[in-house]
Amino acid sequence: MGQMSKDMTSSLSTRRLSRLAYGGIWSLPLPLWLAAFFLGPMILLIWLSFWDVKNFLLTPDFQLENWQKMLTAPYFWAAYLRTFVIAISAAALVSLIALPCSLAISFFLSVRARMVMLGLFVVPFFTSYLVRVYSWQIYLTENGIVMKLLAAIGIDSGSLLNTPLALMIGLVTLTLPLVIVIQSISMLSLDKTLIDAAYNLGCGPRRVLFATVLPAVRPGIVLGALFAFIFSFGDFVTATYLGGGKFTTMSILIADTVKSGQQWPRAAVVALMMIATLLITALASIAYAYRRT
Amino acid sequence: MNSLSEIKLARSVAPSELERPMSHAHISLRNIRKTYGDAVAVENLNLDIEEGKFVAIMGPSGCGKSTMLRMLAGLEDVTGGDIQREGQRINELSIWERDMPMVWQSLALFPFLTVRENVEFGLRMKGVGKAKRKTRALDWLQKLGLEGYADRGIDQLSGGQRQRVALARCLVTEPSVLLLDEPLSALDAHLSVQMQGELKRLQRELGITFVYVTHSHSEAFSMADTVVIMNQGRIEQAGGPEDIYLRPATPFVARFLGGSSIFDCKARRLKTGEMVLEGPDGRFKCTGSELADLDEGQQVSLIVRADQISVTAKAGWAENEVAARVVGEEFIGALVNLRLETAAGTAITVQLQQRDMQALDIEVGATVTASWHPEDGHIING
Repeated sequence: MGQMSKDMTSSLSTRRLSRLAYGGIWSLPLPLWLAAFFLGPMILLIWLSFWDVKNFLLTPDFQLENWQKMLTAPYFWAAYLRTFVIAISAAALVSLIALPCSLAISFFLSVRARMVMLGLFVVPFFTSYLVRVYSWQIYLTENGIVMKLLAAIGIDSGSLLNTPLALMIGLVTLTLPLVIVIQSISMLSLDKTLIDAAYNLGCGPRRVLFATVLPAVRPGIVLGALFAFIFSFGDFVTATYLGGGKFTTMSILIADTVKSGQQWPRAAVVALMMIATLLITALASIAYAYRRT
Repeated sequence: MNSLSEIKLARSVAPSELERPMSHAHISLRNIRKTYGDAVAVENLNLDIEEGKFVAIMGPSGCGKSTMLRMLAGLEDVTGGDIQREGQRINELSIWERDMPMVWQSLALFPFLTVRENVEFGLRMKGVGKAKRKTRALDWLQKLGLEGYADRGIDQLSGGQRQRVALARCLVTEPSVLLLDEPLSALDAHLSVQMQGELKRLQRELGITFVYVTHSHSEAFSMADTVVIMNQGRIEQAGGPEDIYLRPATPFVARFLGGSSIFDCKARRLKTGEMVLEGPDGRFKCTGSELADLDEGQQVSLIVRADQISVTAKAGWAENEVAARVVGEEFIGALVNLRLETAAGTAITVQLQQRDMQALDIEVGATVTASWHPEDGHIING
């Protein structure tokens, strides 16, 4: 009897071990990937931010000058604020544009039409974002089709390039499909009984959106906006090709810092500040998304 | 007693032909029909629900009981017929105008709101002020034993607690009717029984109408004042639980409730003038006024409850006897359900005390004699 129970526990623990090993093997790529392409470079980046540049040459060192210089420079904070405002605006704009689309896809389209629509939103990813932004550049120049059309109806506004509007157009191009897909997934996974329950408790069709649907899909909306913010905050292409370098964003600042005198350590400071900002924003957003009421 | 059962029977067979009452009924369904394309979900449904009654609607899955509840709530349109409330047709009222809150099978509590905010939802939709809303919500939470849980999230509650929140959310607006769609099916057996007691007490205290859809016999028969049994979109029988138990109106009801043996028979008048029932299992005597109404050769079912059948090893003791083979036995506490089968293939269920079973000393495969008194047989048409 004692022998038997001993066998059973040992076979149990072997089984548990093999199950752990099985799960471990499957989940191994993630930590490996993170270690190789995130944690490693991150440590390198932090280390780099304390290095020195002597005669345009990177020299390993441990000094705080890069941090001091950047964090006290007005142009750094101007770029930081500008990037933040652009990214927040883009996230808000994209979320607002995506919301009615996602509602229509999730609640009004037939299953078939829904599949087609969601499929169409993936199509833009078939072409490079750079190509799409270049196309916008052609559209928005003084001789572009948009200007011609506006001129035809008597609006002469000059080139739309290098304006905040052009920036927003570029960032919406970048993020809209993704945000619609994220919002739609969260709306499609919404338990429709909740909407019936709201109606049943006296909630009319005009109120049901704000009293039930939007609060219930808040995680999806917030996550969509967060992705839009992250992409916009780090974007280089739109700021360069549609903003014409007129709007110095953090990404452009990194490029400029590197170009001017091999200041890799100072660029590292900018990059680290960006990462810190995105981390804090992401954590705050997720906390907000899953907060009750 | 028998004339009462005939009224019930008449009502369930051809209710539309009954005179329309002055309608003391709180809610009435009149000739309700519901189709999905060619599929008929509900047909010729007539039911009067009196104010303050606990009505349980039961039937096998797909019988139309949930469809009926959803039509009451306004979640489904009716294809034909009237839904009336206090004599007024309410077919055209939208869901949000009906004021018939529902306890959902999935509970459908709002996960993005706290317990208190869930309970307040109906009041908020009615435009009740913030302070008043809060007081009334807390009041109901306390009534249902949930004080101290007001600020929790739904995911922080147990199954039974969620059940109570769902009830509070419906009752806080003080409706005159509550719809319940298999609300206890997600709870474990012990909790379910406890909640049955609480629901019945709550309904009695509040004096409001409960329309309760369930597939569970025990829930329906332990709580309801009126049990409605549906099959294939029609009402088979509606009546008090005891009435239905003692006098099932159709063979379906008898089979659905279980615990009875059903003998297919034809009515036959003997030369002596006596009316008897004759079928593949033999000739049975019967008393009761139902017998007088039978015509020669009429097809009937003879229903005998499991607790009214005796089993003996030898034949020739009683008036109604049939030989049967023992095919199984189930022990339920102090009782034994003995399953028998006749040569003609009729299944017979006999309920015995454990000690009587031991005294009988029979095994599966043995042939025994099942018998019952003529007054214990219940005759139904068909």
